[in-house]
Amino acid sequence: MKLSLPMPVKMVGVVLGTTAFYMYLGQIVPQKEVPPPPPVLISEDMTTEELIEVGLELANGKGICFSCHNDVRAPGFDGIGSRAGTRIEGMSDVEYLAQSLYDPDAFLVPGFAQGMQKMNEPPISFTDDEMRAVIVWLQSQGGTPTVTLDTDLGY
Amino acid sequence: MSRNKILFGIGVLAFVSVIVTVRLGGFLVDNEYRQPDRQVAAEEALGETELTPRQQGIADEQAADEAEARALPYEEAEYRTVPFVGSRVTVWVLAQLHLLFAAFVLAVPMFAFIIEFIGYVKKEERYDKLAYEFTKLLSVSFSMTATFGAFLTFGLIILYPKFTNYLMHIFSPTFLPYVLLFFLEALFLYSYYYGWGKFGPKVHLFLGFMLNVVGTAIMFIANAWLTFMMSPGKREDLDGDGVPDFVSAVSESGALLSLRDAFFNFTWMPINIHRIIANVAFGGSIAAAYAAFRYLQAKTDEEKAHFDWMGYIGNFVAIIAFLPLPFAGYYLASEIYAFSQTLGIQMMGGTFSWLFVIQAAVIGNLFLGANYYLWLGMGRIEGTAHFQKFIKYLLIAIALCFAVWATPRYAIASVSEIAAMGGSSHPQLSYLGQMSAKNTAVNILILSTYMSFLLYRRTGKQSTHPQRQLLSRAQVIVFAATAALVIFYGIYGYYVDAATRIRFAIPQVYSVLAAMAVITIIDLPLYRNARQPGETQWGKMPAISQYALIFIALSFTWLMGLMGYVRSGLRQEWHVYGVVLDTSPDAYTPTLGFATQVVSVTVLIFFGLIGVVFWLSSLSGKKAYEPKTAAELEGGQAA
Amino acid sequence: MDGFNLPVLLALVAVAGLLVWRRANTLTWLLFSWGALWAFFKYGFTVPIPQSVATIYLGITTLALVCFASSSRQRLAEVTSPIVRLIREPRYKLPLAALLVALPALAAYNVYADMNVPLEAPGFGREVHPSPNPTITVHGETIDMATADNPYTHLHEDDPEAYEEHLENGRRVYYENCFWCHGDGMGGDGMFAHGLNPVPSNFNDSGTLPILQSSFVHWRIALGGPGLPEGGTPWDSAMPAWEKFLTTEEMWDVNLFIYDFNGFEPRALGQH
Repeated sequence: MKLSLPMPVKMVGVVLGTTAFYMYLGQIVPQKEVPPPPPVLISEDMTTEELIEVGLELANGKGICFSCHNDVRAPGFDGIGSRAGTRIEGMSDVEYLAQSLYDPDAFLVPGFAQGMQKMNEPPISFTDDEMRAVIVWLQSQGGTPTVTLDTDLGY
Repeated sequence: MSRNKILFGIGVLAFVSVIVTVRLGGFLVDNEYRQPDRQVAAEEALGETELTPRQQGIADEQAADEAEARALPYEEAEYRTVPFVGSRVTVWVLAQLHLLFAAFVLAVPMFAFIIEFIGYVKKEERYDKLAYEFTKLLSVSFSMTATFGAFLTFGLIILYPKFTNYLMHIFSPTFLPYVLLFFLEALFLYSYYYGWGKFGPKVHLFLGFMLNVVGTAIMFIANAWLTFMMSPGKREDLDGDGVPDFVSAVSESGALLSLRDAFFNFTWMPINIHRIIANVAFGGSIAAAYAAFRYLQAKTDEEKAHFDWMGYIGNFVAIIAFLPLPFAGYYLASEIYAFSQTLGIQMMGGTFSWLFVIQAAVIGNLFLGANYYLWLGMGRIEGTAHFQKFIKYLLIAIALCFAVWATPRYAIASVSEIAAMGGSSHPQLSYLGQMSAKNTAVNILILSTYMSFLLYRRTGKQSTHPQRQLLSRAQVIVFAATAALVIFYGIYGYYVDAATRIRFAIPQVYSVLAAMAVITIIDLPLYRNARQPGETQWGKMPAISQYALIFIALSFTWLMGLMGYVRSGLRQEWHVYGVVLDTSPDAYTPTLGFATQVVSVTVLIFFGLIGVVFWLSSLSGKKAYEPKTAAELEGGQAA
Repeated sequence: MDGFNLPVLLALVAVAGLLVWRRANTLTWLLFSWGALWAFFKYGFTVPIPQSVATIYLGITTLALVCFASSSRQRLAEVTSPIVRLIREPRYKLPLAALLVALPALAAYNVYADMNVPLEAPGFGREVHPSPNPTITVHGETIDMATADNPYTHLHEDDPEAYEEHLENGRRVYYENCFWCHGDGMGGDGMFAHGLNPVPSNFNDSGTLPILQSSFVHWRIALGGPGLPEGGTPWDSAMPAWEKFLTTEEMWDVNLFIYDFNGFEPRALGQH
């Protein structure tokens, strides 16, 4: 007695089985659906607190800042508001933060490599107002938010 | 199944489909609302002038609808939708199917040409026959490629009209050369195929060569379109600070600035290289699957021997192309990184990081399958007992590397497991999840597979070279030294900072490539005039080896589908990265589970279609139809 | 061999040695390899490796062993012949029957063991100490998180007697309200603690109070779980918003007390 299936059945079995196995692998890894970042609207009459909220939203969504700024690949944000003014002699916190966003390679925090894009360039393409919102939010992390939509960032 | 039954089946199928088409059309036309017969009679009785309030209402409504329809202005659609599957999945599947057939059509001529050339140089008939056997697969696949290409173009125009229009704005000057090249491709392909044995060998080889040149040129043009979507521009150091700046090929609003930059964009060449190598690997594996299909059907020993050999050569091509593929992939990934850190991080650390764990699993399976086939192949040759003991160690090395490569950086863990580990990474395993360990694993995997191949090559052979012992030892030393060097860099990588560590990948890769080259160079004279006491018995492979070939082909196809997804999906919500935003409902990035489902369905459709290609190709080898003689018919009746 | 479970490893090596000595056949070796790796992944590490990773490794092991067994006709015969003998030869009737019972029983046990794990909340990344908003409002008063400090800290130097009074008041507040969850000794092990996820903070831990400003602690006391920002979700903590039950003074007092009790100083203003 010999147990044997016809060849085409085995062949279809190999094809279906392999595909099913790989598809199964795809199902057991963490599943995450990423929506496109929602458009964030900034209006003239926003209070500082609203701007901070917008800034966080931008950092989280469009800016994808948290992919790297976790103290491992790039410096974390905890307390950045109080550190920003002390990083470079003679540079205020706003000037420092603006430089970090518009020209990230100008100064590197010791212990970290370069690798951040200029945030006003594609694909992130922050507008100047969005930059202000992000800077206000950064200031709020351990410092005093001073930037408004009228602040000149120098870029 | 007899030919008559198949013909009858096709006839029935054609008849049924004609009826279904006619009935479907009739149904759609008839399905408008019509008033019941008796109401018509009642209306006639009432006369024309008197309308009931209901009829009046209906008439008014119709008039209003018509007026509204007439007043409708023409608007250009940005997107159109497909019910149930959605437009993205439609275009995705079509593009993938087009690409799979195209890859096959581009790859087969490459190795058919090389095999024909070997046959020409060695003056051996069997190589020529084999090359012809491969070429037979081309003509149907070529039609399939064109069909899906047209289907994909329609799909894009219908479903993404505005974006397709934008691509026309950028690339319209490239379309005419593309079409012309396609003509040439058809010309060379069919003259190469139908002209087999009809031209002198040099003319025929020239046709094959031109077929490859034209095919590659076609792919390079098409690659420009899709790489532009990922990297619309180049990088050049404009301000002289040593950091390359982004030079966009289009203006901020998307208007074309430089077709040159759009065409020769930053990731164009890396994709070209990656695709050529991957196509050959994929084409080889599919051709090997065809051989497996024929081997399993074969009735005579001669047929079996032929298709066993064909499967072996197809798989050999696939493996040889597959070995440098991780390096080409590494190059492509690092170029994507260099183009945009943001893209690179999305790929390796962000949304798509788990995709690469699946990739590792598939590639691990491929390496295992390829080695397995080689080991089984030793069974073809007598007197291989003393090589069999190496298999154990090779297998251990491969399984270990596979395991290291498939170790996720951050494991999926339950709350209690995280609590036990004191974080989301395990104190010992976390070392294995890092780049250093994984690069090392891949390099050792490649080296081991190469050793498997070398072992296979020398089974049943005895070198007659005067310095054979010395040379064999040299090979072993090169192998061991390379493995040691790769592992050394892998471990040393943990003691240096990230920037230095990344650079370690390069000596690892080069040492492995160099080792393979050196070992091959030593091997050639070593076994040139080898004695062969154990004859290779083609056609004596166990059936399971042929299923292994099919498994390898399927894994390649699935892997191509998966990597095609990440290449395209990487742009996330962008049509053209940083320039044209996708505003359709399909702009989101789907879950990996969903993506793998789409990939799997696509692969199954492809295998269904390639099965048809195989079947059609196998027809040419069948006996010509002969009507049954009266005697045969009578004999049949008597029985 | 730090991090590995030495007795388990030694036991596995011993069994392997036994197999070498007894010249075990290929099938036995295959079964042993699988079982040994299973045991190694499950018990071989002092910190157990996650189930998901162990499954990947065992999957690879299985594939590799199947490849090995079937990669030559001779080996395949070596592997299958003991099985065929077991089924065919009458003298193995009893072991065969035992095997036929044992296999489904093993499968059943496996299902039982899989189903019998205690229910767990899925693991999501959750910040233990999420950043507060720059200002918070307690009892209608706006407090600037960056600059606010415990108004009674300075009494430690200026008026030790008043300081003692505040501490005493804090002690009363703590043992009336907080110890239920945070525990008698502030170890986060109060009588209700075992029912909570996330668990109550352990104030003895040097990774908690010393790294927080007292304004942060005040924020957590006053606004509790309901006041956590998004970073603290999911599973907002069960900490009540104590501003609804305590006066501002009582909250600062208990703040003072928990630092004093554990001998910690709050992180200074602006210190990072």
